[in-house]
Amino acid sequence: MGNNKLNRRDFFTMGSGAAALGLLRGHAGADDGEKPSTSRVVLIRDRDVLDSEGKADPNGLHRMLNKGVAELVGEKDAAAAWRQLFSPSDVVGIKSNEWSRLPTPAALEEAMRFELERVGVAPTDIAVDDRNVKANPVFQRATAFINTRPLRTHDWSGLGTCIKNLITFTERYPDYHGDACAPLGSIWLRPELKGKVRLNVLVMLTPQFHSTGPHSFSQEFVWPYGGLILGVDPVAVDATGARIIEAKRKLHFGDDRPMRPPPHHIQIAETQYGIGIADPDRIELVRLGWKDDALI
Amino acid sequence: MEKRGAIWVRSLVVPLVVMLMSCSQGPPVGGESGSLHESLPAELGGWRALDEDSVYDTESIYSYIDGHAEVYMAYGMVRCVSRRYSGPEGEPDIVLDLFEQASAADAFGVFTHDRDGEEVDIGQGGLFRHGWLSFWKGHWFGSVYAEGESEASKEAVLALGLAAADTMTEVGEVPALVAELPEDGLDPRSVRFLHTQEILNGVVYLGYENALQFGPEVDAVVGRYQRPEGGGWLLLVDYPDDASAEVAEGGAIEAGIAVRRQGSRLAAVLAPEPQAAGDGLLADAIGGE
Repeated sequence: MGNNKLNRRDFFTMGSGAAALGLLRGHAGADDGEKPSTSRVVLIRDRDVLDSEGKADPNGLHRMLNKGVAELVGEKDAAAAWRQLFSPSDVVGIKSNEWSRLPTPAALEEAMRFELERVGVAPTDIAVDDRNVKANPVFQRATAFINTRPLRTHDWSGLGTCIKNLITFTERYPDYHGDACAPLGSIWLRPELKGKVRLNVLVMLTPQFHSTGPHSFSQEFVWPYGGLILGVDPVAVDATGARIIEAKRKLHFGDDRPMRPPPHHIQIAETQYGIGIADPDRIELVRLGWKDDALI
Repeated sequence: MEKRGAIWVRSLVVPLVVMLMSCSQGPPVGGESGSLHESLPAELGGWRALDEDSVYDTESIYSYIDGHAEVYMAYGMVRCVSRRYSGPEGEPDIVLDLFEQASAADAFGVFTHDRDGEEVDIGQGGLFRHGWLSFWKGHWFGSVYAEGESEASKEAVLALGLAAADTMTEVGEVPALVAELPEDGLDPRSVRFLHTQEILNGVVYLGYENALQFGPEVDAVVGRYQRPEGGGWLLLVDYPDDASAEVAEGGAIEAGIAVRRQGSRLAAVLAPEPQAAGDGLLADAIGGE
């Protein structure tokens, strides 16, 4: 890890407000000065958050979200942490994922909405959407976004990631499908998005580590991991998730089933588009909660 | 799967299908799919067809199977006829999707995209794994998917697949190129038939540059080999003419891929291990040393 590690003390030192947010946003489509040499990512897990059918307990999920956000920002108090990320004057789009087999849990969307309202954001200035974001009036005037989705394997991009989740802001998805979706990082540089995604939450409650069939899903290839990965830097968040999926595939299949195609859009998002850090050695991974079988 | 399994499928399922198909008809769907659709059972073993069937074209398919439509499009998808069956209490729904592809070779190609599972005697080739049956027959690729796993739903999935396949009268040919792969050391289940680099990238990643000049008019087959001297993926590609093959040969050499050409056919070895293992495969495929 580099000497310029972005750690909790940095956040305290910077205090709340524009300075801290500016540095945080530096990862998410940098539009300001010097980029940090490391990225902080929080992996929080709870053994009891899922019931026997894999459904998340709303209260437990909300607690995980708040602990993760607090740790990410370096606050003890969750409400204060959310206030570091958002202000009452913000208009916030929560970019979700409605894929029917493995959607973003509604309970997580509601927890985010609750915390934004607690910050003071007007309920009319908050919206949750996925495929209709371009036509959604709140998203059209958004000053900030939360980006959240479950992690899953994907036939065209290798992995369905936080980086990929913004594809619904584009006019024509196939334009981003070439070379295993290598250009996905460019979406984050669009004017309506650049520097506005303040929080990425990769849902790792029941991640999907292999796709099968036209509907790309089988219960055989998800498992109860009970986690969330949080970060401001989408590349670092996705790179961390990818390591877990790779480890799970190795555990399940052995050595002969690497992800195909490789999810190299994550690395390319760093090297070509500069929207974050993919190198594990430059990611400060903070682990909270359940430690068993973390695979990372 | 062993023959015993194939026999089991048919002996278990056929009586059920015959009994149920005789008393059930679904709502019609227009076009060529109509007659096929009308022959599908509306109810089977307690699973009942829901609502109207859906027919997806080359545009609407993207919203129906987000993230996977490209696979069918890469094999000239014409349409997809889809029907959902609701199960008895406590049993999962079953989704039947029948993809009409450009040709029998293309239906076979789609089938080879995922070759996991147990072989079952349905259509011209069937595979069952984790609640999902895939099969091909003529220019159709069939998928029957249970949204959960149980013994009863497995039986229903296989019965539905058999019923669907039996309504398809056309019998297709496996692309002749498949038989051109040398047998020595070939893992038969690894064989894929394809036209595009995107599909090949799902097997062996070659990147974005289309060095081998893939396209709709190009047929290719790839298979994995393991021999005493080493292994690798052997790719055979048939181009429309010699000139196209020559261009591809140049591109492959520039990309560092070991190739050999004979007329409009190109052989290439991908990911050889060790590097020298490719020589024998190329010689077997095209000739020479």
